[in-house]
Amino acid sequence: MRQLSSYLWAEIQKEHRHSFHSKMIYFSLLVWPVIMFVTAYYSFAPFRMGPDSPLARFVAAEQLPLFLLTGYLGYIFYWCLVQSAWQMSFERQAGTMEMIFISPVNRLAFLYGRSLSSLVEGVWLFFCFVLLALLFVGGIHPSGWWAPILAFLILLVSAVVWGGFLSVLFLFSRDASFLYTVLDEPMLIFSGVRLPPMAFPLWAKVISFCFPLTYALQLVRGLLMEGETLLALAPKVGLLAAVLLLLVITTIVLLKQAEKHMKETGNMVMY
Amino acid sequence: MLIVENVRKVYRVKEKTGWLMRKWTEVEAVSDLSFRMEPGKIIGLLGINGAGKTTTIKMCSTLLTPTSGSITVDGYDAVRDDRFVKSKVNMIAGGERMLYWRLTGRENLQYFGSLYGLSGEGLKHRIDALLLQVGLMDAADTPVERYSKGMKQRLQIARGLINDPRYLFLDEPTLGLDAPIARQLRKHVKELASEQGKAILLTSHYIHEVEELCDEVYIINKGKLVAHDTPANLTQSLNLETTLHVVIPALSDSLDHDLRQLAMRYGGHRLITETDDKTWEVTLRGENDMTTPLLSLLAAHHSPVLRLHTQQPSLEDVILHMADRRGA
Repeated sequence: MRQLSSYLWAEIQKEHRHSFHSKMIYFSLLVWPVIMFVTAYYSFAPFRMGPDSPLARFVAAEQLPLFLLTGYLGYIFYWCLVQSAWQMSFERQAGTMEMIFISPVNRLAFLYGRSLSSLVEGVWLFFCFVLLALLFVGGIHPSGWWAPILAFLILLVSAVVWGGFLSVLFLFSRDASFLYTVLDEPMLIFSGVRLPPMAFPLWAKVISFCFPLTYALQLVRGLLMEGETLLALAPKVGLLAAVLLLLVITTIVLLKQAEKHMKETGNMVMY
Repeated sequence: MLIVENVRKVYRVKEKTGWLMRKWTEVEAVSDLSFRMEPGKIIGLLGINGAGKTTTIKMCSTLLTPTSGSITVDGYDAVRDDRFVKSKVNMIAGGERMLYWRLTGRENLQYFGSLYGLSGEGLKHRIDALLLQVGLMDAADTPVERYSKGMKQRLQIARGLINDPRYLFLDEPTLGLDAPIARQLRKHVKELASEQGKAILLTSHYIHEVEELCDEVYIINKGKLVAHDTPANLTQSLNLETTLHVVIPALSDSLDHDLRQLAMRYGGHRLITETDDKTWEVTLRGENDMTTPLLSLLAAHHSPVLRLHTQQPSLEDVILHMADRRGA
């Protein structure tokens, strides 16, 4: 256990130092969430948003800014923590992937450690969100003092599991980057980042519940916007836990298959 | 001991046969290869490009699974017990890859050490010792992207030794390095075997490096083992031609005639060329050494010798000869 945590920490440090080589990246993290939120908010502004609008059945007009803010918080949180997945191609190019797989390190720790490396970004992002919400948006009704902490943990754990799942897909092939494109945009549209999934037609609802971000956002909004109690949230927490468990099991199975495939084909060095 | 027994590796390769058409073909990279690595010994794996050297190293280091045959490390199977084997082996390749360039040398070693479960003071001491060993202590906290090629290669060696492996695979470790740095690395490799008792497998295109370092050499061609012996025995066993060069000031008809007779008597052939400075260079090639009879003949003709040197067959000649013989 000590070895595992020591490796996880080393992976986090390595990825962080490798990605955060310029102070400008911290600056972009400060500006980026604000730009995305403003863009989304003003894209709704030209439309009728009163009590008789179609969206009002799902989100009250006065809650829209906070709805969007939580949506983008979740999306960017996921984006930060899964970027390590498509950076897997770097490991191939640099030949460092071979050096990782020649070692006896726990492969699952390697995958999740890569995702966790963006923890600093995640913490910073969450801090920005709380600050924005308190100073400019308002309307926060947390379930309790613990609600922001729990919301943070829900986002963190679900994003790390999602990041690990995407990373394992990149172990199969250097051409797996198309999967990111295929998965990222639908996640933005269908996970309830900008529109509540309940407003979607049935086929879109089915897609939306394939993404763990959908469940995570429901919980975060329940905790921070609607002040729901833990008891009321329990079924949703259970659902998210089940989805994440399924993803972890799939990741483990795929990881074994990917390593077997790499050892048979020698594609670990192809980039 | 690391034992490779009757190992075979077949790759399935996809070939384009049309816009949407693909054909799968099988390529045998290694065929029925067997060898052993013993502590304190350096063995060389030689062959021309595509001979299967890198595939063999990757199978021994658990990066590839053999299609058939077995590899055992201290009695543990490299496929079934790969976790154990991984902790006992490491690989160092030539070139500038396999490092994180934005990290410092020390950070790289910290990360690679953590992959082997090393941490805390133990890892710190190991890193310091290795940095000192490869002469990178002063540059330990400099990002690798600012390192020279030689420094990166030295860091690679430190990385390959971070888990104190019993079995070390060196794949072209001096590729592209300047002569003094390559010499320093060769010295270091020799010490790893002789002083630290590591079993080392070396592949290199620099034949003199193999001749200098290796106790035994395995020559493979198209994945098959074609010869195995010490470098000296390999060059002697094939009876390849020795070349004798002698420069004389004048060449009479009778000397020319006797030289031809000498070459014929020893089953060789002779070549005479006039040099720019009006001297004559006689080249005698044959499987037998003709130095003594040649000097006796020149003495009988009262011909002074201006220069004389013998060129023995090298390991490179052996490899090329074997590749030719098997239609490479």
